[in-house]
Parts: sequence; C-alpha cells; structure tokens
Amino acid sequence: MILLGLCTTLFIINALTIGGGYVMLPMLQEEFVQRHHWLTNQEFLDAIAIGQITPGPMTVMNAFIGYKVSGLTGAFLAMVSSYLPCIIIVGLLVKFYYAYKDSILVNSGFKGIKAAVVGLLASVVITLGNTSLVDTPTILIGVCSFGVIAFTRLDPTFVIIGAGVAGAFFC
Amino acid sequence: MGKIPLKDIFLIFLKIGTFSFGGVYSMLSLVERELVEKRKWLSQDEFIESVAIGQMTPGPPIVNTGICIGYKLHKIKGALIATLGQAFTGVTLAILLAVFYVNTHDNLLLRSIMKGVGAAVVGLLMSIVYKMACRIITDWKSALFSFGAFIALAIFKLNAIGIIISACLLGIVIYRKRGQA
Repeated sequence: MILLGLCTTLFIINALTIGGGYVMLPMLQEEFVQRHHWLTNQEFLDAIAIGQITPGPMTVMNAFIGYKVSGLTGAFLAMVSSYLPCIIIVGLLVKFYYAYKDSILVNSGFKGIKAAVVGLLASVVITLGNTSLVDTPTILIGVCSFGVIAFTRLDPTFVIIGAGVAGAFFC
Repeated sequence: MGKIPLKDIFLIFLKIGTFSFGGVYSMLSLVERELVEKRKWLSQDEFIESVAIGQMTPGPPIVNTGICIGYKLHKIKGALIATLGQAFTGVTLAILLAVFYVNTHDNLLLRSIMKGVGAAVVGLLMSIVYKMACRIITDWKSALFSFGAFIALAIFKLNAIGIIISACLLGIVIYRKRGQA
C-alpha cells in the first residue's frame, strides 16, 4: 500500500509541476512529511542536498526518498513514477508542438501555476528553516549559502559540500 | 536524419547525465556541444525547440528536453533510452548514499555534517525563491497569485496539489480574458 501511495503521489506531482526540480518541493514536502510522515523535515532537507550534489537532475532525490520509504524497490518505483508522466506528455507533445505552443489555455494556466509556485516555495522554506536554522552556526551557514548562491555564479554543489565541512566543525 | 543506434543514444545521455553537476544550465550546454556541434544529430533549431518543449511541459525541464531529443532521434524507444542514460549515474549514486545514510543515521559526525548541509539547503532554497520571484513576479497580478498561494499554504494549510490546480484554473480565467498569456 505504501508503494502504491508513493507511486501515485510522485506520478501526480510530476505531471503537475512545470519549471524544474525545485517546483516539486512544496508538494513533496506536504505529501511525504506532513501527510504521510514517511520522512522528517531533516530527512527531507538531506534528500534535497543529495539531489543537489549528485550529477543530473534534482529528481534523483526521489530515488533517495523511495529508498528511505521502502528500500530498493521503493527507489526503483519512485524513479519510474517520476519519469513516466514526463515521457508520456513529451512524447505526445512533440507531435503537436506548434498547436500547444500557441494554445492560450495552456499558456494562461501555466502562467498562474508559475506565480503560485513562488509563494508555495516561500512557505516551505519557512517550514524547513524552522527545522534547520536553530542556532548561531546554522543561521550563519544558511545566510552565507543564500548570499553565495543568489549573488555569485558558484555551483550550489560546492556550497553544500562546504556547509557539510563547516557542520562537522561547528554544529 | 538516419536512424542512430540506441546504444549510442544511451551512451551519450549517460555521459551527459554523469558530467553535469549543478543542474540545468551546465547540462544544456553539454547537450548542445555533444549533440549539435560534435555529432550533428540535431540542428540548432531542433535543439532550441527541444529546450522549449522541456520548459513548457510538466516535470524537470532538462529531463524533458532529453526525452524530447530521444523521441526525435528514435521515437518512443529513444525517449526511454535517453531517460535511462540520463538518470543512471545520479540514481545509482543517490541509492548508494541512501544506503549509507540509513545505516549511519545515528553517527554523531554525520549528524553535525547534515545539520550544516540542512542549513545550506534552506539558504539555497531562499535564493531560488528570490531568483524565481525576480523573474516571474512582474506585475500586481502575478504578485497576488504568489501571495495567495503563500497564504493558502502557510496559514490555511491547504493542500499544495489543490493550490496548483486552482492556480491553473484561475490563470486560465484571468489571463485568457485579458489576452495576456
């Protein structure tokens, strides 16, 4: 049953989110942490970190979540249900690209979604911040990481590795 | 365009998926160099179209761009193989890390490392919100969408999937009427 829930949740989330790995986060956090309690907030943050330091798209964090929820089968099924909606939709779309591109319905719908996602993500950041920014060292790490990633072109992978080293010494 | 062997498609996407740290943009430049410039499997226009399709479909854009290119090269088999190649290294590493993580969860050093990492991820997400907001919130209507979604989730604890679906419907009503999409 857990596996079925895992698969349908990931399938729906991947079918609905447009614009990249981060857009999935509010929904993943709500379904996996708040609703089903398959992960804690800390584990969710760890999953994001792993999605970030591994090569390739962030989505591989779903393999980590799947493994955490129910082992290798979970990891495998999590990846299949994350990629399946993409393959179906893109496969259909390649044929109807020009009709779709100019569709007012599709464009206006996605315009609403994109703006809403900014607000959703902001809300999730607050929830996660309450979990992980708990003392002076963690707040400092959080602020530095924001500054470096928002205002320089340094790859986030290095920031996360650096924060791990800092954590080993100061946390 | 003659048929390109599936094995080659797999290998090239394996390479792309393995050597692209740091997300979408490094990955796109790698795809462009390998497939358009070096191998000439795609024209520049086809590449740009694939990137556009990747961005306007649900799911991670880079994955969808890969699926789209795979599909153009070898129909549905190409799409599957491209996805597999692209995800292989990352997924394998994520599973290995997960095994390691689950088994050493109580280790004190790992805990402090992950505490630091967790704080950095929050900073990373803040910067993503900041960058997205700069790009997407361009007028009071998009600001209202975004603020409404924030309140709905943060204060009223409504369902995030439900909020996304409502935003989509509201977007259709509002932006279509004014012809601004």
